Amino acid sequence: MKHKNGWDYLFTVLLCLLGIFMIFPFILMVVTSLKDSKEIMITGLNILPKAPSFKNFVTVFQKTLLLRYLYNGTVVVVFILIGQFAVNIPASYAFAKRKFPLKNLLFVAVLAALVFPRYIAAIPNFLLLSKFKLINTYRALILPSIASPFCIFLMRQYIMTIPEDFFEAAALEGCSIPRLLTAILMPMIRPAIGSFTIFSIVSHWNDLFWPLIVINSRSMYTPPAGIVFFADAEGASDWGAIMAAALLTIAPLVVLFLSNRKQFISSLTSTGIKG
Amino acid sequence: MLKNRKSDVIVSYALIAPAVAFMVLFIFYPILYSIILSAQSYRLGFRTREFIGFGNYIELFKSADLWNSLRITGIYTIVVVVASLVLGICLAVLVHQRKKTGMIWQIIFFLPVAATMAAMAIVWRFILDDNFGVFNNLLRALGINGADWVRNPDTALGAVIIINIWANAGYTMVFFLAGLANIPDELYQAASLDGSTRLQDFRYISWPLLSPTTLFITIIMTVRALASFDLIKVMTNGGPLKTTQILSLLLYQEAFQYFNVGYASGIAVVFFVIVLALTLVQMRFDTRVHYQ
Repeated sequence: MKHKNGWDYLFTVLLCLLGIFMIFPFILMVVTSLKDSKEIMITGLNILPKAPSFKNFVTVFQKTLLLRYLYNGTVVVVFILIGQFAVNIPASYAFAKRKFPLKNLLFVAVLAALVFPRYIAAIPNFLLLSKFKLINTYRALILPSIASPFCIFLMRQYIMTIPEDFFEAAALEGCSIPRLLTAILMPMIRPAIGSFTIFSIVSHWNDLFWPLIVINSRSMYTPPAGIVFFADAEGASDWGAIMAAALLTIAPLVVLFLSNRKQFISSLTSTGIKG
Repeated sequence: MLKNRKSDVIVSYALIAPAVAFMVLFIFYPILYSIILSAQSYRLGFRTREFIGFGNYIELFKSADLWNSLRITGIYTIVVVVASLVLGICLAVLVHQRKKTGMIWQIIFFLPVAATMAAMAIVWRFILDDNFGVFNNLLRALGINGADWVRNPDTALGAVIIINIWANAGYTMVFFLAGLANIPDELYQAASLDGSTRLQDFRYISWPLLSPTTLFITIIMTVRALASFDLIKVMTNGGPLKTTQILSLLLYQEAFQYFNVGYASGIAVVFFVIVLALTLVQMRFDTRVHYQ
């Protein structure tokens, strides 16, 4: 055991400085959202608001479709998640516990799909969606993300650890496959489901790339696309309102993070894979 | 258990069919189609669409834009990966063993990872604003002349790199914290008896034992950095003078702003080849390093 010495104090100071650098944008966002526009232009280094008010938030709701963006974002992440589970959990069960021809080859294909960056598929996916007249719809935002090799991979890893007996017992009792999946399997893989849920929500709530491509009307924007549109086109340097909108955009995920710190961190890092 | 094997196989295929269908439609077919498109002269909104073989690639490799973009992507990726790694390991060492305050520090450093990048990029634009940005105000107070950081070709790339490091340091820190937690305390105690200093502890115990973690993070950070888009799109949109035009942005602009579908597909294929090459390198490494 080492005793506290000068180094410890130096390290603590260093840590605090780094902490300030990390959290400063968040603090600035909050305090600016509470200031009126004149004060933002003149304050200089005095970053605390003189007379905090929620006027900017009122402006945001009056001038922008932020509520609509938040609603769109929620619809998109919820339906993507439901679709991902409905499509990928049965497949991961088959890959983990069943024998069938070409299984290994098909699983290698899943693993290969895991490493392809999304940009490669973007142009054909856009062309496909426009062919079916789906541009500017929720389906355009949802459908391409339902295929999730990562979901299959993660669930399969987890299902493989469940002893064979459970499945054999269920089969002996004449349990149907849909019942097996929903009533027996899904409760057993809850940790994996929780972990993937956080991962999926974070990736799709935050995504700017895909909405920019398949959405071309304001009322269909998700929050990231909406806030960028507000800052670039509508906001006209009304920084107070822009910061209020930014705060409302990040708020749902920050709340999710603060209320499930450990699971949130492990969900985003256990994999290192994004998208 | 004896069961009708044929029906078992049918059930298995029925279970994987939806997932396979979605993957084929939205992942595998698009990749093949990208390769086909890259051999066509095809512009959205124009009638003509013909097979031109390697025409797009010849044009692509002759264009200064691609080489500029590859150079910028290289600089950006290397600096972001190395700096996030170094900062992450520093943070981990500083936060490690702070039992009371550890979780608070983790929250602070991980917050940028959780926050929507597009929104935070706008906040950074405000911080770095030429006229009333806090950063220039601070510099003015110190008697230094600021700059228009994101609109100046000399500083824009540096600015987006630093902000990306800000966004990723907490991410790498978490891996290093887990790595440090796995190193047995006895090693440090034994070293301490031999009079080892903190620096020696780090150099001879922590650093070597963290090497599998370091390698793993290098790989995933490289993939993350290569895939970044949101931050640069919002901060600079590739400008000024294309000094921040990384590959994903070049692809986006050619495909979805100029609708040069064939040409942009060529960029997509180049991107694909780079990622594939990195993956193969990673697989080689994976067999050499022994994880505990």
